[in-house]
Amino acid sequence: MGNSVWKDTWLITLRSIKTTLRNPFSFIPNLMISAFFLLVYEGGLSGISQLPMFEGANYLAFILPVSIVSAAIGGAGGAGQGIVKDIENGFFSRLLLTPASRLAIVLGPIIAGMLQLFIQTLLIIGIAFLLGLEVETGFGGILFVLLIAIGWGLAFAGYSAGVALRTKNAQAAQAGTFIFFPLIFLSTTFVPYELIEAQWLKVAATINPTTYIFESMRTVLIDGWIFWDLMQGVIAIVIACTITITFAAVSAKKAVSRG
Amino acid sequence: MNGKIEVEHLSKTFKKGDVQAVKDVSFTVEDGEFFAFLGPNGAGKSTTVQILTTLINATGGKATVAGHDVIREPEKVRRYIGVALQETGVDPDLTGRELIELQANIFGFSKTEAKKRAEELLKIVQLTDSAERRIGNYSGGMRRRLDLALTLVNEPKILFLDEPTTGLDPSNRMAIWKELRRLNEENGTTIFLTTQYLEEADSLAHRISIINDGEIVATGTPRELKAQIGNDLIALTFSSKEEEEKAERILKEHMDPSDVILQNGKLTVYVEDGTKQLLELVRLLDQENIEVATVNLSSPTLDDIFLKITSEQAEKEGEVHGE
Repeated sequence: MGNSVWKDTWLITLRSIKTTLRNPFSFIPNLMISAFFLLVYEGGLSGISQLPMFEGANYLAFILPVSIVSAAIGGAGGAGQGIVKDIENGFFSRLLLTPASRLAIVLGPIIAGMLQLFIQTLLIIGIAFLLGLEVETGFGGILFVLLIAIGWGLAFAGYSAGVALRTKNAQAAQAGTFIFFPLIFLSTTFVPYELIEAQWLKVAATINPTTYIFESMRTVLIDGWIFWDLMQGVIAIVIACTITITFAAVSAKKAVSRG
Repeated sequence: MNGKIEVEHLSKTFKKGDVQAVKDVSFTVEDGEFFAFLGPNGAGKSTTVQILTTLINATGGKATVAGHDVIREPEKVRRYIGVALQETGVDPDLTGRELIELQANIFGFSKTEAKKRAEELLKIVQLTDSAERRIGNYSGGMRRRLDLALTLVNEPKILFLDEPTTGLDPSNRMAIWKELRRLNEENGTTIFLTTQYLEEADSLAHRISIINDGEIVATGTPRELKAQIGNDLIALTFSSKEEEEKAERILKEHMDPSDVILQNGKLTVYVEDGTKQLLELVRLLDQENIEVATVNLSSPTLDDIFLKITSEQAEKEGEVHGE
Protein backbone atom coordinates (compact mmCIF):
# COMPACT_ATOMS: atom_id res chain seq x y z
CA MET A 1 0.00 0.00 0.00
CA GLY A 2 1.20 3.52 -0.76
CA ASN A 3 2.77 5.28 -3.70
CA SER A 4 6.05 6.92 -4.57
CA VAL A 5 6.34 10.69 -4.41
CA TRP A 6 6.15 10.73 -8.22
CA LYS A 7 2.91 8.79 -8.35
CA ASP A 8 1.35 11.04 -5.70
CA THR A 9 2.53 14.16 -7.50
CA TRP A 10 1.16 12.83 -10.78
CA LEU A 11 -2.25 12.04 -9.25
CA ILE A 12 -2.59 15.38 -7.52
CA THR A 13 -1.34 17.36 -10.51
CA LEU A 14 -3.78 15.60 -12.80
CA ARG A 15 -6.61 16.51 -10.49
CA SER A 16 -5.48 20.17 -10.37
CA ILE A 17 -5.47 20.30 -14.17
CA LYS A 18 -8.97 18.85 -14.28
CA THR A 19 -10.13 21.44 -11.76
CA THR A 20 -8.62 24.28 -13.79
CA LEU A 21 -10.20 23.11 -17.03
CA ARG A 22 -13.60 22.91 -15.35
CA ASN A 23 -13.33 26.54 -14.30
CA PRO A 24 -12.61 28.29 -17.58
CA PHE A 25 -13.11 31.65 -15.93
CA SER A 26 -10.02 31.02 -13.86
CA PHE A 27 -7.85 31.47 -16.97
CA ILE A 28 -9.91 33.10 -19.74
CA PRO A 29 -9.81 36.68 -18.34
CA ASN A 30 -6.04 36.60 -18.01
CA LEU A 31 -5.66 35.17 -21.47
CA MET A 32 -7.89 37.94 -22.85
CA ILE A 33 -5.87 40.65 -21.12
CA SER A 34 -2.66 39.21 -22.51
CA ALA A 35 -4.10 39.00 -26.02
CA PHE A 36 -5.44 42.54 -25.55
CA PHE A 37 -1.92 43.89 -25.02
CA LEU A 38 -0.89 42.36 -28.28
CA LEU A 39 -3.88 43.34 -30.41
CA VAL A 40 -4.65 46.77 -29.04
CA TYR A 41 -1.18 48.17 -28.48
CA GLU A 42 0.10 46.74 -31.72
CA GLY A 43 -2.86 48.36 -33.50
CA GLY A 44 -2.86 51.62 -31.55
CA LEU A 45 0.75 52.37 -30.66
CA SER A 46 2.77 50.73 -33.39
CA GLY A 47 3.33 54.13 -35.00
CA ILE A 48 5.75 55.11 -32.26
CA SER A 49 8.19 52.51 -33.46
CA GLN A 50 9.00 54.96 -36.25
CA LEU A 51 10.89 56.94 -33.59
CA PRO A 52 14.65 56.67 -33.93
CA MET A 53 15.04 55.11 -30.43
CA PHE A 54 13.31 52.00 -31.72
CA GLU A 55 16.06 51.65 -34.31
CA GLY A 56 13.61 50.33 -36.85
CA ALA A 57 12.28 47.58 -34.59
CA ASN A 58 8.86 46.11 -35.22
CA TYR A 59 6.47 47.22 -32.45
CA LEU A 60 4.79 43.81 -32.43
CA ALA A 61 8.06 42.20 -31.37
CA PHE A 62 8.53 44.99 -28.85
CA ILE A 63 5.11 44.56 -27.17
CA LEU A 64 5.03 40.73 -27.35
CA PRO A 65 7.12 40.25 -24.15
CA VAL A 66 4.57 42.35 -22.21
CA SER A 67 1.82 40.08 -23.40
CA ILE A 68 3.86 36.96 -22.59
CA VAL A 69 4.83 38.11 -19.11
CA SER A 70 1.19 38.98 -18.41
CA ALA A 71 0.13 35.49 -19.52
CA ALA A 72 2.91 33.87 -17.52
CA ILE A 73 2.13 35.73 -14.32
CA GLY A 74 -1.57 35.02 -14.69
CA GLY A 75 -1.00 31.33 -15.30
CA ALA A 76 1.40 31.02 -12.41
CA GLY A 77 -1.06 32.82 -10.14
CA GLY A 78 -3.36 29.86 -10.75
CA ALA A 79 -1.03 27.80 -8.54
CA GLY A 80 -1.72 29.92 -5.49
CA GLN A 81 -5.41 30.11 -6.21
CA GLY A 82 -5.61 26.33 -6.51
CA ILE A 83 -3.94 25.89 -3.13
CA VAL A 84 -6.15 28.45 -1.39
CA LYS A 85 -9.24 26.81 -2.80
CA ASP A 86 -8.14 23.44 -1.44
CA ILE A 87 -7.44 24.91 1.96
CA GLU A 88 -10.77 26.71 2.10
CA ASN A 89 -12.93 23.77 1.12
CA GLY A 90 -11.09 21.39 3.46
CA PHE A 91 -9.66 19.23 0.70
CA PHE A 92 -6.13 20.18 1.75
CA SER A 93 -6.76 18.63 5.18
CA ARG A 94 -8.35 15.60 3.57
CA LEU A 95 -5.13 15.10 1.58
CA LEU A 96 -2.99 15.62 4.68
CA LEU A 97 -4.92 12.78 6.34
CA THR A 98 -3.90 10.34 3.61
CA PRO A 99 -0.45 8.81 3.30
CA ALA A 100 0.17 11.03 0.24
CA SER A 101 3.57 12.68 0.11
CA ARG A 102 3.44 16.14 1.71
CA LEU A 103 5.58 17.45 -1.13
CA ALA A 104 3.10 16.15 -3.72
CA ILE A 105 0.19 17.87 -2.00
CA VAL A 106 1.86 21.27 -2.44
CA LEU A 107 3.58 20.55 -5.73
CA GLY A 108 0.48 19.33 -7.59
CA PRO A 109 -1.25 22.73 -7.91
CA ILE A 110 2.08 24.44 -8.65
CA ILE A 111 2.88 22.09 -11.54
CA ALA A 112 -0.65 22.53 -12.88
CA GLY A 113 -0.19 26.31 -12.70
CA MET A 114 3.09 26.05 -14.58
CA LEU A 115 1.43 23.99 -17.26
CA GLN A 116 -1.32 26.58 -17.58
CA LEU A 117 1.37 29.24 -17.96
CA PHE A 118 3.15 27.24 -20.66
CA ILE A 119 0.00 26.79 -22.72
CA GLN A 120 -1.04 30.43 -22.35
CA THR A 121 2.40 31.56 -23.44
CA LEU A 122 2.29 29.28 -26.48
CA LEU A 123 -1.13 30.67 -27.42
CA ILE A 124 0.11 34.25 -27.16
CA ILE A 125 3.14 33.50 -29.30
CA GLY A 126 0.81 31.81 -31.78
CA ILE A 127 -1.37 34.91 -31.99
CA ALA A 128 1.74 37.06 -32.49
CA PHE A 129 2.76 34.91 -35.43
CA LEU A 130 -0.70 35.29 -36.92
CA LEU A 131 -0.25 39.05 -36.63
CA GLY A 132 2.94 38.79 -38.63
CA LEU A 133 5.67 38.41 -36.02
CA GLU A 134 9.19 37.98 -37.29
CA VAL A 135 11.87 36.76 -34.96
CA GLU A 136 15.48 37.74 -35.48
CA THR A 137 16.85 34.57 -33.87
CA GLY A 138 14.26 32.20 -35.32
CA PHE A 139 13.06 29.04 -33.59
CA GLY A 140 15.86 29.08 -31.03
CA GLY A 141 14.79 32.56 -30.03
CA ILE A 142 11.21 31.42 -29.47
CA LEU A 143 12.49 28.60 -27.26
CA PHE A 144 14.53 31.10 -25.28
CA VAL A 145 11.49 33.35 -24.85
CA LEU A 146 9.47 30.36 -23.64
CA LEU A 147 12.18 29.43 -21.14
CA ILE A 148 12.29 32.96 -19.80
CA ALA A 149 8.50 33.00 -19.52
CA ILE A 150 8.54 29.72 -17.58
CA GLY A 151 11.35 30.92 -15.34
CA TRP A 152 9.60 34.18 -14.58
CA GLY A 153 6.33 32.32 -14.11
CA LEU A 154 8.00 29.93 -11.68
CA ALA A 155 9.19 32.88 -9.63
CA PHE A 156 5.66 34.22 -9.55
CA ALA A 157 4.18 30.76 -8.82
CA GLY A 158 6.51 30.52 -5.82
CA TYR A 159 5.28 33.90 -4.66
CA SER A 160 1.57 33.13 -5.13
CA ALA A 161 1.83 29.66 -3.57
CA GLY A 162 3.76 31.12 -0.65
CA VAL A 163 1.11 33.78 -0.04
CA ALA A 164 -1.64 31.15 -0.34
CA LEU A 165 -0.02 28.74 2.11
CA ARG A 166 0.77 31.49 4.57
CA THR A 167 -2.57 33.31 4.60
CA LYS A 168 -4.84 30.34 3.78
CA ASN A 169 -7.35 32.92 2.68
CA ALA A 170 -8.74 33.57 -0.78
CA GLN A 171 -9.05 37.34 -0.39
CA ALA A 172 -5.47 37.68 0.78
CA ALA A 173 -4.22 35.50 -2.05
CA GLN A 174 -6.27 37.54 -4.49
CA ALA A 175 -4.87 40.76 -3.07
CA GLY A 176 -1.40 39.28 -3.43
CA THR A 177 -1.86 39.04 -7.19
CA PHE A 178 -2.18 42.82 -7.45
CA ILE A 179 1.58 42.93 -7.50
CA PHE A 180 0.91 42.03 -11.14
CA PHE A 181 0.17 45.68 -11.96
CA PRO A 182 3.35 47.38 -10.72
CA LEU A 183 5.38 44.46 -12.09
CA ILE A 184 3.93 44.87 -15.55
CA PHE A 185 3.39 48.60 -15.82
CA LEU A 186 6.23 50.23 -13.86
CA SER A 187 8.70 49.10 -16.44
CA THR A 188 9.73 49.55 -20.06
CA THR A 189 6.28 48.29 -20.91
CA PHE A 190 5.37 50.48 -23.86
CA VAL A 191 8.53 52.36 -24.72
CA PRO A 192 12.27 51.74 -24.41
CA TYR A 193 14.10 52.91 -21.30
CA GLU A 194 15.57 55.90 -23.10
CA LEU A 195 12.11 57.23 -23.90
CA ILE A 196 10.83 57.18 -20.33
CA GLU A 197 10.62 60.82 -19.28
CA ALA A 198 9.39 60.73 -15.68
CA GLN A 199 12.31 60.23 -13.31
CA TRP A 200 10.24 58.17 -10.83
CA LEU A 201 9.22 55.75 -13.57
CA LYS A 202 12.86 55.43 -14.61
CA VAL A 203 13.77 54.52 -11.04
CA ALA A 204 10.88 52.07 -10.78
CA ALA A 205 11.82 50.46 -14.09
CA THR A 206 15.40 50.05 -12.92
CA ILE A 207 14.32 48.31 -9.71
CA ASN A 208 11.60 46.24 -11.33
CA PRO A 209 13.00 42.84 -12.30
CA THR A 210 10.41 42.58 -15.07
CA THR A 211 12.36 45.23 -16.98
CA TYR A 212 15.24 42.77 -17.37
CA ILE A 213 12.85 40.05 -18.47
CA PHE A 214 11.40 42.37 -21.12
CA GLU A 215 14.84 43.41 -22.26
CA SER A 216 16.21 39.91 -22.64
CA MET A 217 13.12 38.77 -24.55
CA ARG A 218 13.28 41.83 -26.82
CA THR A 219 16.92 41.19 -27.47
CA VAL A 220 16.32 37.75 -28.94
CA LEU A 221 13.17 38.83 -30.74
CA ILE A 222 14.60 42.00 -32.28
CA ASP A 223 18.38 42.20 -32.06
CA GLY A 224 19.80 38.70 -31.96
CA TRP A 225 21.93 36.61 -29.60
CA ILE A 226 23.66 39.24 -27.52
CA PHE A 227 24.98 37.30 -24.55
CA TRP A 228 24.99 39.89 -21.74
CA ASP A 229 21.66 41.37 -22.76
CA LEU A 230 20.15 37.92 -22.48
CA MET A 231 21.89 37.14 -19.22
CA GLN A 232 20.26 40.03 -17.38
CA GLY A 233 16.92 38.25 -17.73
CA VAL A 234 18.39 34.94 -16.61
CA ILE A 235 20.01 36.56 -13.58
CA ALA A 236 16.77 38.33 -12.62
CA ILE A 237 14.98 34.98 -12.78
CA VAL A 238 17.57 33.14 -10.71
CA ILE A 239 17.46 35.80 -7.99
CA ALA A 240 13.66 36.06 -7.97
CA CYS A 241 13.16 32.27 -8.00
CA THR A 242 15.59 31.80 -5.14
CA ILE A 243 13.67 34.27 -3.03
CA THR A 244 10.10 33.23 -3.87
CA ILE A 245 10.67 29.48 -3.89
CA THR A 246 12.37 29.67 -0.51
CA PHE A 247 9.39 31.67 0.70
CA ALA A 248 7.01 29.06 -0.75
CA ALA A 249 8.97 26.17 0.76
CA VAL A 250 9.07 27.73 4.21
CA SER A 251 5.33 28.53 4.03
CA ALA A 252 4.57 25.02 2.78
CA LYS A 253 6.55 23.45 5.55
CA LYS A 254 4.58 25.48 8.04
CA ALA A 255 1.25 24.64 6.42
CA VAL A 256 1.81 20.87 6.48
CA SER A 257 3.61 20.81 9.82
CA ARG A 258 1.81 19.67 12.90
CA GLY A 259 3.10 22.26 15.36
CA MET B 1 -2.13 -4.69 13.56
CA ASN B 2 -5.00 -3.87 15.86
CA GLY B 3 -7.66 -1.24 16.03
CA LYS B 4 -6.75 0.01 19.47
CA ILE B 5 -6.31 3.60 20.62
CA GLU B 6 -4.20 4.27 23.69
CA VAL B 7 -3.87 7.76 25.06
CA GLU B 8 -1.72 8.67 28.06
CA HIS B 9 -1.57 12.10 29.67
CA LEU B 10 -2.20 13.84 26.39
CA SER B 11 -2.16 17.62 26.43
CA LYS B 12 -2.13 20.40 23.90
CA THR B 13 -1.41 24.05 24.50
CA PHE B 14 -1.78 26.41 21.58
CA LYS B 15 0.90 29.05 21.43
CA LYS B 16 -1.59 31.58 20.18
CA GLY B 17 -3.33 32.99 23.21
CA ASP B 18 -1.71 30.32 25.41
CA VAL B 19 -4.88 28.23 25.38
CA GLN B 20 -4.72 24.80 26.97
CA ALA B 21 -7.21 22.94 24.81
CA VAL B 22 -6.50 19.43 26.11
CA LYS B 23 -5.38 18.83 29.69
CA ASP B 24 -3.78 15.54 30.72
CA VAL B 25 -6.27 13.28 28.99
CA SER B 26 -5.90 9.50 29.26
CA PHE B 27 -8.15 6.77 27.89
CA THR B 28 -8.09 3.52 25.96
CA VAL B 29 -10.39 2.42 23.17
CA GLU B 30 -10.35 -1.33 22.57
CA ASP B 31 -10.21 -3.00 19.18
CA GLY B 32 -13.74 -3.09 17.79
CA GLU B 33 -15.20 -0.74 20.36
CA PHE B 34 -17.60 2.10 19.59
CA PHE B 35 -16.41 4.97 21.73
CA ALA B 36 -17.84 8.45 22.03
CA PHE B 37 -16.33 11.70 23.21
CA LEU B 38 -19.16 13.81 24.46
CA GLY B 39 -18.81 17.49 25.23
CA PRO B 40 -19.93 21.00 24.44
CA ASN B 41 -18.35 23.30 21.86
CA GLY B 42 -14.76 24.15 22.74
CA ALA B 43 -14.35 21.21 25.12
CA GLY B 44 -11.27 19.91 23.31
CA LYS B 45 -12.92 17.18 21.25
CA SER B 46 -11.69 18.32 17.85
CA THR B 47 -8.20 19.03 19.14
CA THR B 48 -7.99 15.48 20.47
CA VAL B 49 -9.16 14.11 17.11
CA GLN B 50 -6.61 16.24 15.26
CA ILE B 51 -3.80 14.91 17.45
CA LEU B 52 -4.89 11.29 17.12
CA THR B 53 -5.22 11.61 13.34
CA THR B 54 -1.72 13.14 12.94
CA LEU B 55 -2.89 16.60 11.84
CA ILE B 56 -1.32 18.36 14.81
CA ASN B 57 1.23 17.41 17.43
CA ALA B 58 0.50 17.13 21.12
CA THR B 59 2.52 19.28 23.50
CA GLY B 60 2.61 16.55 26.11
CA GLY B 61 1.82 12.88 26.66
CA LYS B 62 1.66 9.95 24.31
CA ALA B 63 -0.85 8.42 21.93
CA THR B 64 -0.80 5.16 20.02
CA VAL B 65 -3.27 4.51 17.22
CA ALA B 66 -3.43 1.08 15.55
CA GLY B 67 -0.20 0.18 17.29
CA HIS B 68 1.76 3.19 16.03
CA ASP B 69 2.86 6.31 17.82
CA VAL B 70 1.02 9.29 16.31
CA ILE B 71 3.95 11.62 16.75
CA ARG B 72 6.82 9.40 15.63
CA GLU B 73 5.08 7.27 12.99
CA PRO B 74 2.37 9.44 11.46
CA GLU B 75 2.71 7.82 8.00
CA LYS B 76 1.90 4.40 9.42
CA VAL B 77 -1.03 5.69 11.42
CA ARG B 78 -2.52 7.34 8.31
CA ARG B 79 -2.70 4.01 6.48
CA TYR B 80 -4.97 2.40 9.03
CA ILE B 81 -7.35 5.18 9.89
CA GLY B 82 -10.28 6.89 8.23
CA VAL B 83 -11.08 10.42 9.30
CA ALA B 84 -14.12 12.62 8.82
CA LEU B 85 -13.43 16.06 10.22
CA GLN B 86 -16.08 18.50 11.30
CA GLU B 87 -15.77 20.33 7.98
CA THR B 88 -16.09 18.02 5.01
CA GLY B 89 -13.03 17.86 2.78
CA VAL B 90 -14.18 17.58 -0.80
CA ASP B 91 -13.16 19.20 -4.07
CA PRO B 92 -16.34 20.77 -5.50
CA ASP B 93 -15.07 20.60 -9.08
CA LEU B 94 -14.78 16.82 -9.20
CA THR B 95 -17.64 14.36 -9.41
CA GLY B 96 -18.35 12.06 -6.48
CA ARG B 97 -16.99 9.10 -8.37
CA GLU B 98 -13.79 10.89 -9.43
CA LEU B 99 -13.06 11.96 -5.90
CA ILE B 100 -13.46 8.48 -4.43
CA GLU B 101 -11.29 7.03 -7.19
CA LEU B 102 -8.63 9.68 -6.56
CA GLN B 103 -8.67 8.92 -2.84
CA ALA B 104 -8.32 5.19 -3.62
CA ASN B 105 -5.43 5.86 -6.00
CA ILE B 106 -3.68 7.91 -3.34
CA PHE B 107 -4.02 4.96 -0.98
CA GLY B 108 -2.22 2.83 -3.58
CA PHE B 109 -5.16 1.11 -5.29
CA SER B 110 -4.70 0.23 -8.95
CA LYS B 111 -7.03 1.84 -11.51
CA THR B 112 -9.34 -1.19 -11.66
CA GLU B 113 -9.38 -1.63 -7.89
CA ALA B 114 -10.15 2.06 -7.42
CA LYS B 115 -13.09 1.87 -9.84
CA LYS B 116 -14.47 -1.15 -8.03
CA ARG B 117 -14.05 0.44 -4.63
CA ALA B 118 -15.77 3.63 -5.79
CA GLU B 119 -18.73 1.63 -7.07
CA GLU B 120 -19.07 -0.19 -3.73
CA LEU B 121 -18.78 2.91 -1.62
CA LEU B 122 -21.18 4.96 -3.73
CA LYS B 123 -23.74 2.24 -3.18
CA ILE B 124 -23.12 2.15 0.56
CA VAL B 125 -23.64 5.89 1.00
CA GLN B 126 -26.48 5.90 -1.56
CA LEU B 127 -24.88 8.28 -4.00
CA THR B 128 -24.77 6.03 -7.06
CA ASP B 129 -27.39 8.16 -8.81
CA SER B 130 -25.39 11.36 -8.25
CA ALA B 131 -21.97 9.83 -8.86
CA GLU B 132 -21.48 11.65 -12.16
CA ARG B 133 -22.50 15.05 -10.84
CA ARG B 134 -20.03 17.61 -9.60
CA ILE B 135 -19.79 17.77 -5.83
CA GLY B 136 -20.38 21.52 -5.95
CA ASN B 137 -24.02 20.70 -6.73
CA TYR B 138 -24.45 18.28 -3.82
CA SER B 139 -26.57 19.15 -0.80
CA GLY B 140 -24.99 19.32 2.66
CA GLY B 141 -26.23 15.84 3.54
CA MET B 142 -24.88 14.38 0.29
CA ARG B 143 -21.48 15.97 0.88
CA ARG B 144 -21.41 14.50 4.36
CA ARG B 145 -22.20 11.04 3.02
CA LEU B 146 -19.55 11.39 0.33
CA ASP B 147 -17.08 12.51 2.98
CA LEU B 148 -17.91 9.36 4.92
CA ALA B 149 -17.33 7.26 1.79
CA LEU B 150 -13.90 8.89 1.40
CA THR B 151 -12.95 7.94 4.94
CA LEU B 152 -13.83 4.31 4.19
CA VAL B 153 -11.77 3.95 1.01
CA ASN B 154 -8.79 2.25 2.68
CA GLU B 155 -10.99 -0.06 4.81
CA PRO B 156 -9.72 1.60 7.98
CA LYS B 157 -9.28 -0.36 11.19
CA ILE B 158 -10.19 2.75 13.11
CA LEU B 159 -12.63 5.43 12.13
CA PHE B 160 -12.45 8.93 13.59
CA LEU B 161 -15.56 11.02 13.20
CA ASP B 162 -15.66 14.57 14.48
CA GLU B 163 -19.29 15.54 14.96
CA PRO B 164 -20.39 13.64 11.87
CA THR B 165 -24.05 14.58 12.13
CA THR B 166 -23.89 18.20 13.27
CA GLY B 167 -26.19 20.27 11.11
CA LEU B 168 -27.80 17.31 9.36
CA ASP B 169 -31.50 16.71 8.93
CA PRO B 170 -32.95 13.64 10.69
CA SER B 171 -33.03 11.41 7.63
CA ASN B 172 -29.38 12.01 6.78
CA ARG B 173 -28.48 11.61 10.43
CA MET B 174 -30.26 8.25 10.59
CA ALA B 175 -28.51 7.09 7.40
CA ILE B 176 -25.13 7.88 8.93
CA TRP B 177 -25.99 6.25 12.25
CA LYS B 178 -27.08 3.11 10.45
CA GLU B 179 -23.88 2.92 8.44
CA LEU B 180 -21.68 3.50 11.51
CA ARG B 181 -23.45 0.73 13.41
CA ARG B 182 -23.04 -1.61 10.46
CA LEU B 183 -19.30 -0.84 10.15
CA ASN B 184 -18.79 -1.45 13.82
CA GLU B 185 -20.86 -4.62 14.05
CA GLU B 186 -20.12 -6.30 10.71
CA ASN B 187 -16.57 -5.19 10.02
CA GLY B 188 -15.40 -4.82 13.60
CA THR B 189 -14.17 -1.29 12.85
CA THR B 190 -13.17 0.62 15.94
CA ILE B 191 -15.05 3.92 16.01
CA PHE B 192 -14.05 7.07 17.83
CA LEU B 193 -16.86 9.57 17.55
CA THR B 194 -17.20 13.03 18.99
CA THR B 195 -20.55 14.62 19.47
CA GLN B 196 -22.45 17.33 21.24
CA TYR B 197 -25.62 15.27 21.06
CA LEU B 198 -26.23 13.10 24.06
CA GLU B 199 -28.79 10.96 22.31
CA GLU B 200 -26.22 10.22 19.62
CA ALA B 201 -23.63 8.98 22.10
CA ASP B 202 -26.33 7.14 24.06
CA SER B 203 -27.71 5.32 21.07
CA LEU B 204 -24.42 4.47 19.30
CA ALA B 205 -21.56 4.12 21.74
CA HIS B 206 -20.52 1.21 23.94
CA ARG B 207 -18.61 3.57 26.14
CA ILE B 208 -18.60 7.33 26.58
CA SER B 209 -16.14 9.82 27.98
CA ILE B 210 -17.53 13.17 28.89
CA ILE B 211 -15.06 15.94 28.16
CA ASN B 212 -15.41 19.47 29.39
CA ASP B 213 -12.90 22.27 29.25
CA GLY B 214 -10.12 19.97 28.04
CA GLU B 215 -10.55 17.35 30.73
CA ILE B 216 -12.31 14.01 30.89
CA VAL B 217 -14.81 14.33 33.70
CA ALA B 218 -16.54 10.95 33.51
CA THR B 219 -16.20 7.69 31.61
CA GLY B 220 -18.43 4.65 31.43
CA THR B 221 -21.10 2.83 29.53
CA PRO B 222 -24.26 4.87 29.05
CA ARG B 223 -25.87 2.78 31.78
CA GLU B 224 -23.00 3.27 34.22
CA LEU B 225 -23.00 6.99 33.65
CA LYS B 226 -26.69 7.21 34.31
CA ALA B 227 -26.36 5.14 37.48
CA GLN B 228 -23.54 7.37 38.68
CA ILE B 229 -25.87 10.26 39.36
CA GLY B 230 -28.61 8.51 41.24
CA ASN B 231 -31.47 6.41 40.02
CA ASP B 232 -34.16 9.03 39.74
CA LEU B 233 -34.56 12.61 38.91
CA ILE B 234 -37.15 15.05 40.14
CA ALA B 235 -37.82 18.18 38.14
CA LEU B 236 -39.69 21.05 39.79
CA THR B 237 -40.93 24.35 38.45
CA PHE B 238 -42.27 27.35 40.33
CA SER B 239 -44.45 30.28 39.52
CA SER B 240 -41.88 32.96 40.39
CA LYS B 241 -38.16 33.51 40.27
CA GLU B 242 -37.94 34.28 44.00
CA GLU B 243 -39.55 30.98 44.83
CA GLU B 244 -37.20 29.15 42.52
CA GLU B 245 -34.18 30.60 44.19
CA LYS B 246 -35.54 30.09 47.67
CA ALA B 247 -36.36 26.46 46.91
CA GLU B 248 -32.87 25.91 45.56
CA ARG B 249 -31.34 27.34 48.75
CA ILE B 250 -33.48 25.23 51.01
CA LEU B 251 -32.92 21.98 49.14
CA LYS B 252 -29.19 22.59 49.03
CA GLU B 253 -29.20 22.92 52.82
CA HIS B 254 -31.00 19.61 53.23
CA MET B 255 -29.06 17.45 50.80
CA ASP B 256 -25.81 17.18 48.87
CA PRO B 257 -25.70 20.59 47.11
CA SER B 258 -24.27 19.08 43.95
CA ASP B 259 -27.47 17.06 43.54
CA VAL B 260 -29.53 20.23 43.17
CA ILE B 261 -29.30 22.18 39.96
CA LEU B 262 -31.29 25.22 38.93
CA GLN B 263 -31.19 25.93 35.23
CA ASN B 264 -33.57 27.72 32.87
CA GLY B 265 -36.35 27.92 35.39
CA LYS B 266 -36.18 24.23 36.19
CA LEU B 267 -34.94 22.86 39.49
CA THR B 268 -33.49 19.39 38.99
CA VAL B 269 -32.86 17.14 41.98
CA TYR B 270 -30.99 13.82 41.74
CA VAL B 271 -32.23 11.24 44.25
CA GLU B 272 -31.83 7.57 45.14
CA ASP B 273 -35.47 6.67 45.44
CA GLY B 274 -37.77 8.99 43.57
CA THR B 275 -41.19 7.93 44.82
CA LYS B 276 -40.17 8.14 48.47
CA GLN B 277 -38.17 11.35 48.28
CA LEU B 278 -40.63 13.18 46.07
CA LEU B 279 -43.10 13.43 48.92
CA GLU B 280 -40.44 14.57 51.38
CA LEU B 281 -39.32 17.25 49.00
CA VAL B 282 -42.77 18.66 48.41
CA ARG B 283 -43.52 18.57 52.13
CA LEU B 284 -40.30 20.39 52.90
CA LEU B 285 -41.08 23.14 50.42
CA ASP B 286 -44.64 23.37 51.66
CA GLN B 287 -43.39 24.03 55.20
CA GLU B 288 -41.48 27.01 53.82
CA ASN B 289 -44.58 28.26 52.04
CA ILE B 290 -43.16 27.67 48.59
CA GLU B 291 -45.72 26.72 46.05
CA VAL B 292 -44.65 24.11 43.54
CA ALA B 293 -46.08 24.66 40.05
CA THR B 294 -45.19 21.34 38.40
CA VAL B 295 -43.46 18.16 39.48
CA ASN B 296 -41.98 15.56 37.22
CA LEU B 297 -40.35 12.28 38.20
CA SER B 298 -38.15 10.48 35.66
CA SER B 299 -35.05 8.40 35.07
CA PRO B 300 -32.00 10.44 34.18
CA THR B 301 -30.90 10.71 30.57
CA LEU B 302 -27.37 11.43 29.45
CA ASP B 303 -28.53 14.99 29.11
CA ASP B 304 -29.00 15.18 32.84
CA ILE B 305 -25.63 13.62 33.53
CA PHE B 306 -24.04 16.12 31.26
CA LEU B 307 -25.83 19.00 32.95
CA LYS B 308 -24.84 17.76 36.37
CA ILE B 309 -21.19 17.17 35.60
CA THR B 310 -20.65 20.44 33.79
CA SER B 311 -22.43 22.44 36.49
CA GLU B 312 -20.34 20.75 39.18
CA GLN B 313 -17.25 21.75 37.27
CA ALA B 314 -18.41 25.31 36.89
CA GLU B 315 -19.08 25.44 40.62
CA LYS B 316 -15.62 24.12 41.45
CA GLU B 317 -14.06 26.72 39.23
CA GLY B 318 -16.23 29.40 40.73
CA GLU B 319 -14.81 28.52 44.17
CA VAL B 320 -11.26 28.63 42.89
CA HIS B 321 -11.74 31.97 41.20
CA GLY B 322 -13.70 33.33 44.12
CA GLU B 323 -10.87 32.88 46.57
